Amino acid sequence: MAKQYDVLFRLLLLGDSGVGKTCLLCRFTDNEFHPSHISTIGVDFKMKTLVIDGIKVRIQIWDTAGQERYQTITKQYYRRAQGIFLVYDITSERSFQHIMKWASDVDEYAPEKVRKILVGNKSDDVDKRQVATEQGIKLAKAYGMDFFETSAFTNQNIAETFTRLAEQVLAANKKDLDLLRMSNNDEINLAALEEEEGLCDGAPGDQGKGCWC
Amino acid sequence: MAITADDVSLEDIIPISLDFAVVEVSSSEELAVVGADTKMKVSYQEEELELRLPFGSHSRLFLSEVNRVWSDVCKTTTQAPKFEWISKYHKATRGLGTTVNKLNQHQKKEKSSDKKGTIEGEKGSNSGTHKSKAYSSPESQSIFSREDRNDLVRSSSHTPSNKAQILAMPQFGLRDNLIRCELLKNEDLYTYPEDFSFFLGTYNVNGQTPKESLSPWLSCTLNPPDMYCIGFQELDLSKEAFFFNDTPKELEWTKAVSQALHPDAKYALVKLVRLVGIMLIFYVKKEHAEFISDVEAETVGTGIMGRMGNKGAVAVRFRFHNSDICVVNSHLAAHIEEYERRNQDYKEICSRLQFRQLDPSQPPLTIMKHDVILWIGDLNYRISELDVSNVKELIGKKDFETLHSYDQLKRQIDEEAVFVGFAEGDIDFQPTYKYDTGSDKWDTSEKCRVPAWCDRILWRGKNIVQQHYQSHMALKTSDHKPVSSLLVIGIKKVNAEAYKKTFEEIVRNIDKMENECIPSVTLSKREFHFKDVKYMQHHAETLSLVNDGQVPCQFEFIQKPNEPTYCKPWLTANPSKGFIAKGGSVDIELEVFVNRSTAPELNSGKEQIEDILVLHLERGKDYFISVIGNYLPSCYGSSIHSLCQLREPIQDMSQETLREVAKMSGGENAVNTEKPLDIPKELWMMVDHLFRNALKQEDIFQQPGLRSEFAEIRDCLDTGIPDSLPGSNHSVAEALLLFLDALPEPVVPYSFYQQCLEICSNASQCEKVISMLPQCHKNVFNYLAAFLRELLKNSASNRLDVNILATIFASLLLRSPTKQDLAEKRKTQEFFQHFLAQGSS
Ligand SMILES: Nc1nc2c(ncn2[C@@H]2O[C@H](COP(=O)(O)OP(=O)(O)O)[C@@H](O)[C@H]2O)c(=O)[nH]1
Ligand SMILES: [Mg+2]
Repeated sequence: MAKQYDVLFRLLLLGDSGVGKTCLLCRFTDNEFHPSHISTIGVDFKMKTLVIDGIKVRIQIWDTAGQERYQTITKQYYRRAQGIFLVYDITSERSFQHIMKWASDVDEYAPEKVRKILVGNKSDDVDKRQVATEQGIKLAKAYGMDFFETSAFTNQNIAETFTRLAEQVLAANKKDLDLLRMSNNDEINLAALEEEEGLCDGAPGDQGKGCWC
Repeated sequence: MAITADDVSLEDIIPISLDFAVVEVSSSEELAVVGADTKMKVSYQEEELELRLPFGSHSRLFLSEVNRVWSDVCKTTTQAPKFEWISKYHKATRGLGTTVNKLNQHQKKEKSSDKKGTIEGEKGSNSGTHKSKAYSSPESQSIFSREDRNDLVRSSSHTPSNKAQILAMPQFGLRDNLIRCELLKNEDLYTYPEDFSFFLGTYNVNGQTPKESLSPWLSCTLNPPDMYCIGFQELDLSKEAFFFNDTPKELEWTKAVSQALHPDAKYALVKLVRLVGIMLIFYVKKEHAEFISDVEAETVGTGIMGRMGNKGAVAVRFRFHNSDICVVNSHLAAHIEEYERRNQDYKEICSRLQFRQLDPSQPPLTIMKHDVILWIGDLNYRISELDVSNVKELIGKKDFETLHSYDQLKRQIDEEAVFVGFAEGDIDFQPTYKYDTGSDKWDTSEKCRVPAWCDRILWRGKNIVQQHYQSHMALKTSDHKPVSSLLVIGIKKVNAEAYKKTFEEIVRNIDKMENECIPSVTLSKREFHFKDVKYMQHHAETLSLVNDGQVPCQFEFIQKPNEPTYCKPWLTANPSKGFIAKGGSVDIELEVFVNRSTAPELNSGKEQIEDILVLHLERGKDYFISVIGNYLPSCYGSSIHSLCQLREPIQDMSQETLREVAKMSGGENAVNTEKPLDIPKELWMMVDHLFRNALKQEDIFQQPGLRSEFAEIRDCLDTGIPDSLPGSNHSVAEALLLFLDALPEPVVPYSFYQQCLEICSNASQCEKVISMLPQCHKNVFNYLAAFLRELLKNSASNRLDVNILATIFASLLLRSPTKQDLAEKRKTQEFFQHFLAQGSS
């Protein structure tokens, strides 16, 4: 196996306390769901490796405290992120309304190039739904983001959501990465190159058969 | 003409020589974050410099450009460029100059002692030169420079040995290795064997040119084989070939081979490698080509001086699907009695022949490290203990079994002296050596050689079955007959689905491991409540940290954005940083203490006992700890002006009122329609208490009070208006001093300070200044001065004098807005003494 180039991204989970950020993270990294979570007070992270487009992408996912009173502190973590999940809870109209505030904070504090994705969590809890799927789609469209409804409980759309954001971040950094990969491929494909050259040098002047004997 | 960009090149500006290296460095713990700076180490001789380049293609381009120039320098120059322009910088710093000198001497010594190596290097590169001529492949360049580099005594970690190393991220090496190891361990999970046929042929052509078709030898199988590995020996016996490794025969024989391959399939030439007369050509059926990777070729000479290429081996290694295969073609030492020399050649080849790996962090591969080894060639082992006639008689009877028991190779293998672990098929053909050229007649020359099975095919590895093993008598070009064997080899093919699953499982486990190794602690409490915090009173609570993670951890309280320290000035954490071993714990004291600098804001309600601490674990998460509490406002740290507005004890006032009062600038009086007090009632209570009880108190204002009594006095002042105060006279006296000290604006306001210094020797001027103070400040000043004069009247008992009181009170009443020096201090005392003289005011 040829050596591949590795990259590391930082992705940040944002949204009101209780929307399920920590559960999403646990589901994605450990494939586990613990229904009764102690609410996050601080900033936690986990690592996960994805293979996208042949590149081993390692993502560091930061989970933040969503409570109002910690928000001035958590904002300082925004600028280190390349991608941001804006998470609301489909059973909470309030958490959906707050997305606007989260998004404007992101605009203010995160790097310009940051990629965002809108996530409506707890899609399994249909009985208590307060936010229609269409509302999510509409909001995402207004912000120019992709949108997923997820459930950390049933594992619906979890890998898809995380992979999509990672792909977008990868694409946003594509120019620099391509250059890296190109130079790396020179090495990897050396054997193939020689193969062709060897072929032509090995049987020159043999018009009858050409390179393939 | 002016210098333009074209006149300047990287080579001229940067001292790129063999002593120069640019390597990307990275701390083992930090990963390469996209967008992060690229850290690199530049070294020139013994000097090292660490730099950071901004992330992006420019930096990448620079790195690869430097490396390109570096490889050119290594290839072309025998004499290192001098870069004299640097030397003037060396002279500037003497220390540096001597280092360079020392280094030069050191290098000279090393060069002379390394002579032998250099010669060998040149010889080795002979073959390299030829190769690059024949193929002009980028690979030959790298082989060349690699050999050059072997002569340099340099630490390999600083050598940018090729582009791969510069661009590959070394810090990922560990993870990659781990993944590689796990994949190898679990190979059975995602591979399954599938048979492929390998046609192996060996032919000693005795320096001849091809005169007949090779089809009878190479197309002798019914079905086209999947691979061809064809070895030649004695391709060219000329001096030119020997000395310059250059021969037209390579092309002639390659052509003959390609024309004779099985007609029912198409083959691609994957690799050709030659050392003088020993050549190996590797073909693969077209449809298998895409599954061949990691192709490398190497040669080892074991001829004259143990190095030259008249004897030795050439080898090709490659990966086919998931099997690593090595094909060796060797020509071992000649002469019947030299079998031990042949054994030795074999061992030499095994140890000296090494393939480089694509990943430069991996050690070179030896022959024996491969799953499948196919070894062909003129091994030159003879038949001993029988004379020519015996041999020929056995051949006549086709009793090859008996004859084989006299074969040196068989005997040496049986004794485990050579080819340990290798297998060979039964020999059912007559010896392939030595014939009169152009015939099937045994050697008729004077030497009349004993026939021998010189040309052999052996293998080592699992799942290998021989289909045939034969000689080809029809070919008459040489004094040897060619030999062929068809081996069916079980190759490990990858089930892509299973591979993906295994790979993902491994990565998941490594991720899990990594996540478990993120430092972590549990906190005894996340919220700390400090109830009824009072002025100058210590309040402490304990925060216990237990390291419940898998690794030791380093903790520290870190600053929040836009704040100068990790916590508010009235709070401290002790210790604020430290180390906790795995399973260990640490107690941290969180202490709240309000002093005179923090009290004013808290009294006025501008500030609350409220803070969030960020406890950071190095390479780990952050915890937020909230500290809240309530502060009981105090006359201590409140302004004279505010206190004059308060007719009730301060703690009976609402937050609202206190905020309003604090907001008012002096003079106006919005909250109270009532007239403000002349002086703060708290001040009056203390002074009146002393006036009534302590005029004759010995050492009053000289002897300290008790801390506990101070707390009682403070509470008394803040909560009520009692007739008398608790505590001793000394404690009340000290409480008074502390009160003056805590005033946010001193009795003589800061704005008057400078003026006071200037006129300090003039008594009437001093009085004039005081008369200009704001009303309540003036009242306080005069009240205190009058009280002190009363004290002085009793100096016989209380042992006070003007000097003592001036020293104590001047420093409290006239405070400098900045730092006070000794001369200023004297002036303030002089100023205040005017007011202590009996009869003044
Ligand atoms: N039904 C349902 N409950 C969820 C889901 N995700 C999280 N929860 C619950 O929501 C609560 C808050 O989750 P948590 O991850 O701590 O939210 P956070 O404050 O955003 O990190 C917990 O009680 C979870 O059990 C989900 O997908 N479906
Ligand atoms: Mg949480």
